[in-house]
Amino acid sequence: MPIERGLQYLRHMQRVTLKNLPMPLEKTDKWKKEHPDENTIKSIMSRKGPISRNSLPPYGIDPIQAEGRLPWILTVPKEPYYEGVEEARQYLPISLRTLQRLIDLRRINPDKPVDLPVLCNTKLFSIQPDQRQFGLQLTDEGADLFSTPINLEIQWVASELAIAAIERCGGVLTTRYFDPISLSALVDAKKFFERGEPIPRCDTPPINAIEYYTDPKQRGYLANPDLIREERQRLAQKYGYKLPDSSKLSPLFHLRKDPRQIFYGLEPGWLINLKDQTILKPTDNKYQTFYHS
Amino acid sequence: MIKSLSLVKILRQCSIRSIRHFETSTQPPPFSSDSTSNPISQQLPLIVNRQLEYPHVRYPPLQAWLETLGQKRDEKLGIVDLHPSIWQTSPRLDILYENIEWQKTYKKIDWAYTPPHHEYPSMRGKPWPQKGTGRARHSSRYDPQWKGGYKVNGPKGPTSFFYVLPKEKRIEGLCTALTVKLHQNDVHFVDSFDLPTHQPTYLQELTEDRFWGPSILFIDDTDIMPHNMMFASAKTEGFTVMPVYGLNVYSILKHTTLVLTIRALNKIEKKLLHALNSYDTQKDQPAPPDEP
Repeated sequence: MPIERGLQYLRHMQRVTLKNLPMPLEKTDKWKKEHPDENTIKSIMSRKGPISRNSLPPYGIDPIQAEGRLPWILTVPKEPYYEGVEEARQYLPISLRTLQRLIDLRRINPDKPVDLPVLCNTKLFSIQPDQRQFGLQLTDEGADLFSTPINLEIQWVASELAIAAIERCGGVLTTRYFDPISLSALVDAKKFFERGEPIPRCDTPPINAIEYYTDPKQRGYLANPDLIREERQRLAQKYGYKLPDSSKLSPLFHLRKDPRQIFYGLEPGWLINLKDQTILKPTDNKYQTFYHS
Repeated sequence: MIKSLSLVKILRQCSIRSIRHFETSTQPPPFSSDSTSNPISQQLPLIVNRQLEYPHVRYPPLQAWLETLGQKRDEKLGIVDLHPSIWQTSPRLDILYENIEWQKTYKKIDWAYTPPHHEYPSMRGKPWPQKGTGRARHSSRYDPQWKGGYKVNGPKGPTSFFYVLPKEKRIEGLCTALTVKLHQNDVHFVDSFDLPTHQPTYLQELTEDRFWGPSILFIDDTDIMPHNMMFASAKTEGFTVMPVYGLNVYSILKHTTLVLTIRALNKIEKKLLHALNSYDTQKDQPAPPDEP
């Protein structure tokens, strides 16, 4: 007990008098030396410089180390509107007008699913995965002109009008995510196959994109197909067109890719030999579980 | 007893004075029935228990001897109970230091004054021309570098060092001073200050026999003291007599021993306990003690 210990000391020690009391620490010379007040500092300091001229930097900055200048971190301006620019995803735009034009000029075959490698083979788009570009996005310029049913797979759609324009003609749209490694395989497919690497497995989208790709309104590839059907009906009512019967559609429009699949018809993990025109598939259980997960 | 009452009123206003007509104190001691008779003739012990207000949660009451000044022989009359929240607090020497410093500095006034330059004689002219004489160049006779010149930022007028130490610190200072004295065997409790003779040698020899130290502080509850006590303490160096309202940390520590009467003890405990257990708002405070 602290009280009893103190009183025990009192009983054994000298009598407490006016001269025996301990001086508080703040009044000793040692303390004053270590903690000089403003006036002593000013009298010791030089007569020039920011201290003597009342131009000290803001609090938190040591004026002696700063040597009269502001530290570098304060001289460089802040541009908060560029925050997050290193993590932002970029999508190159492709309009419905160009799509229609490409179909009319017979550079794209509408009888087959229109995919990213198909669009990149036209050599109109240069997608660079290392520049944080994640594919193509559909813009709604030329929505009135569009008039062919296609099975389109695109990476991003910003407007409902574009979706409506495709579905009015009887087409089908899905938004799909590709991570940079699979993108580099898709963008230049021939070069990728010449490299001799197995087909990569596509990763799940990042956390800030999961909400987009599970949204039926954006026709995400992870969304519930029943909800997508509802949304198609809703859009048709909103924009005033009639949806064609789903039973009359050709099997083309039912083609979808697996979330891990990159190429139509090719599974991840397969090695393609262009010279011998063969495909090598892994037999080990380990690889099969990994690529099929 | 009309004479005594009027005298009491006059003397209450003045400082401590002695009354030649009375040999004993104006009020009889609390426990004895016959005020004039020698207390030793009664059956001992006189006190064993004392009821304490606001009993402490943790500690039991402390105990001290009750002594007399009525006879030279050191005979104990009984045991006195003491409240632990006054007499057994932690020995905070830093609070004692603060109290003593306050007592010293709150009365201090610094009268130093150096007149500024506009209170000096006129300084219109140069004492000698700028050039020609072999002397240094000056603009006025009363500049600070001159002997007898004005001082720029010197002390200006009476400055007071008055401040009031917070109430809690003052209360705790008194409590710690009392505990310090008690636990170093420098406190003695006495039934009253009735002495048989007015000779100062009686008191001096009594205190020497009992080893009560060169300087003693006698505390009674009122400021009217019996004549014998007054005379004896006035003639000896080191003895001071004080009422309860004059109790302060500086005096307690300056004198080597404290001698309290039972009446003074009661009053001190009542006041301090009331202060220790009171709250900030006026409404919640318990009733103040009857006497000032």
